[in-house]
Amino acid sequence: MKIYVNDKPVDIMPGMTVKHALISAGVLKQIEASKKAYDEWENEIGLDGALSEGMKIYVR
Amino acid sequence: MKSTNTLGTRSKVIIFSLLLLLLFLSFASAEEREVRILYLNDFHGFAESYRPLGSKEMLGGITYLAAKVNALRKEKPSLLLSAGDMMQGNAWANLFQGESVIELMNTMHFDAMVVGNHEFDFGQEVLKKRISEAEFPILGANVEGLGILKPYVIKEVNGIRIAIIGVTTEDTPVSTHPRNASGLKFLSPIDTVNKYAVEFKNTADIILVLSHIGYQVDRTLAEQVEGIDIIVGGHSHTRVGNPSIVGKTIIVQAWEHGKVLGVLDLTIDDGKIMKAEGHLEEIRPDIGEEDRDTLAVLQKYRQKVDSVLSERVGETELDLDGENVRRAETNLGDLITDITRQASGADVAILNGGGIRTSIKKGEIRVKDVYSVLPFDNYIVAIKLTGREIKEALEHGVSAIEKEEGRFPQVSGVVFTYSPSATIGSRLKEVIISGKSLEPDKEYSVATNDFLAAGGDGYRAFGDAIKASKDFEIIGGMMKGEKLVYSDSGRWLKDVVIQYIKEKKTIAPKTEGRIKEIP
Repeated sequence: MKIYVNDKPVDIMPGMTVKHALISAGVLKQIEASKKAYDEWENEIGLDGALSEGMKIYVR
Repeated sequence: MKSTNTLGTRSKVIIFSLLLLLLFLSFASAEEREVRILYLNDFHGFAESYRPLGSKEMLGGITYLAAKVNALRKEKPSLLLSAGDMMQGNAWANLFQGESVIELMNTMHFDAMVVGNHEFDFGQEVLKKRISEAEFPILGANVEGLGILKPYVIKEVNGIRIAIIGVTTEDTPVSTHPRNASGLKFLSPIDTVNKYAVEFKNTADIILVLSHIGYQVDRTLAEQVEGIDIIVGGHSHTRVGNPSIVGKTIIVQAWEHGKVLGVLDLTIDDGKIMKAEGHLEEIRPDIGEEDRDTLAVLQKYRQKVDSVLSERVGETELDLDGENVRRAETNLGDLITDITRQASGADVAILNGGGIRTSIKKGEIRVKDVYSVLPFDNYIVAIKLTGREIKEALEHGVSAIEKEEGRFPQVSGVVFTYSPSATIGSRLKEVIISGKSLEPDKEYSVATNDFLAAGGDGYRAFGDAIKASKDFEIIGGMMKGEKLVYSDSGRWLKDVVIQYIKEKKTIAPKTEGRIKEIP
């Protein structure tokens, strides 16, 4: 499954979550530093949220 | 007199007009009806308030959420709905296989829930038991083979007939252990909802889809199926602050873990939504009151949690070393990696030492001892790596030995030698698997945890293998891809370890010289 984190593609196994995508993209530490993850419609998403093919996540 | 008569006639006209207006207004208000939809999703057993990663404040708490539900219910005729994934994810739920959550939901008088993929994590028999305990319908219109699930429920609230159709993710077999979904079919949510939307088009005032398919798929559902008035969603843990509108469909979702409660107020006239206003109520322990009935359930299970955590798992004849796991092989590292390898059937297991947080003293082992050793909610994954990739992973593992970082590997099924004084990237000297030197081009199955598989602690080898893997599918009851050979996201490693020790009763693991340091 291909996901985009801050427009960078990452490959994730089925069943993995937003947290795994952020680990893979090396940005989970930004969440620890109080940044948040959002979907492409500007909705905040939780770290345990399920992923969808082609999903776009932004950390800011 | 004339003027008086004229005034009298005018007065009569005004009074008559006012009466007509009042009659019209009373007629109009008799047709307009209100209903409030309260909703929750992806609770995952987070009954207690907690401080999420990166947050400075405590959020959630089911007793506060229940009190808010009570207050909102008093204002308007309401429905309380759940969009799934309620029963698994937190020790408070997992230790009781979701029974504690169903008791909470019964106490709060939920009206309906859709089954989430993680509701299957304890197996179908446990799920059937939980469904039978629930005093509200649990829906799954697109699940074939589990007859106890209902496809829909019709609720009449304030004279409004609401058809609630439940659909869950087609990915359930790959987002729980596939054995939990064995014999079941997960049909297309879109086709399923389409069928019921046609059926209820003329018999319901409102068609509401209670969905556990994720926000992105909810939007597609709204685009592709006509006639859906509202989608109350879950699965993607999305915080939809203001209701989204896609076509003529309202989409809402209430984040996760009971940190917010969703509120959607509807005004209905002649089967049409005339007005819809929605928001999320923040749930925090520093605002609002606790609901007493829910608090009683919470306290009952708090005591049970303490009791379960103190349960005896088995006994160790030796101290289990969790102190030195970031610099050397330890018997606790060997034990946990052996269990990981055995559970997955892999050739090799590699775990990060940093995932093992403390030691266990010789003597009795209790549940909470294992939970302290493995505090993270990691699960086992096994991936095919080439000998070259295994070497790369181990080389990375010993690349920060002087800093005692968490990446230092604990291993099973492999013996390796390394020199901490050598240049970073050239420290690994010899690697042996099954008594033979590692073959660079040969593929081996390697078990690890989901954290390393995703690239945690800087391990890239697993992610690179996943990237190279072709499509994933279920083969022989297990999710497999070209490189993926095992994944059990519904069962934590700590629980696998507890099960192993329970079966063995007494353990006495010794280090075996799997990791050898040379000058």
